[in-house]
Amino acid sequence: MNQSLRILIILLPIFILVFFTKILLVDEDLKLSSFEAKNFPAFELDDLNGRSVQSESLNGIKLLNVWASWCITCLVEHPFLTKLSKNNVEIIGLNYKDSKSKANSWLEKHGNPYLFSIYDPRGDLAFDLGVTGAPETYLLIDSKVVGHIQGEMNQQKWETIFMPLIQQATQKK
Amino acid sequence: MGDYFYALNSTSNSKKIMKKQLFMAFFLVLSSAAFTQIVYEFENSAQEKRFYLLISEIRCPKCTSGSIASSDAPISRDLKNKVYELILDGSTDKEIKQYVSERFGAFSDYRPSLSGSNYILWFGPFIFLALILAIFFIRRRV
Repeated sequence: MNQSLRILIILLPIFILVFFTKILLVDEDLKLSSFEAKNFPAFELDDLNGRSVQSESLNGIKLLNVWASWCITCLVEHPFLTKLSKNNVEIIGLNYKDSKSKANSWLEKHGNPYLFSIYDPRGDLAFDLGVTGAPETYLLIDSKVVGHIQGEMNQQKWETIFMPLIQQATQKK
Repeated sequence: MGDYFYALNSTSNSKKIMKKQLFMAFFLVLSSAAFTQIVYEFENSAQEKRFYLLISEIRCPKCTSGSIASSDAPISRDLKNKVYELILDGSTDKEIKQYVSERFGAFSDYRPSLSGSNYILWFGPFIFLALILAIFFIRRRV
């Protein structure tokens, strides 16, 4: 009895230590999220040029990037998005709680990596998508939302979170 | 003479205090709290009770830990407004929670539902306790 108790006293703290270190060392941002694929919510919105957005334009493999001219981190990830778009990754913008004129002049100033940007001044579509702030990026495959990244988009997140999902989808086809 | 000075001092003191109060009132009027306070008006007190219970049971998706009631993040404000709208529209508590979790994930519910892997969450501690008690009694008998 005493012997096993002694072993337990030694082993238990070690076990607890290993358990919590393991949990704490996981990078939450890079964890493959338990994101459940869902259909893209219905919406009726225009793009930043005033043209109404058709739901067919969400077909294929596309990124949907939530951005705003007031959002500082959006400026941080902007060069990476530009790089992606130059490598033929199709990105749709979702302009979030912004004004049209500010958004358009932001794009003029910093460059436009988007095919087009959906103008969502009240954040209605964003709410239905589960957007908690800007920036956030979704991976759409044939109008289905299959992946989600909160915060800055970068090479590491692109490779660890979105690339496997894209490969999976193209292999199925 | 002494009294005179005392009186003089006290009037200048009260003037000072009044100035201070005016100064503070000025900033109170300008403070953001005076502007951002949203007043929710309900048809009856039952709706109001449900609202405050619901917002304390929905997790703020932008916070490390905390309900939307405790948070003034923009998304929490949006969520509170949505919960308010849904209550006035006549949605049930269950429907409102489902509406939120469809968009922000099961994570958003502070009271995990009794289903799937959540069984471990609900009954795990009791199973663990039962196991320890069992081991304890078996040991004692031996």
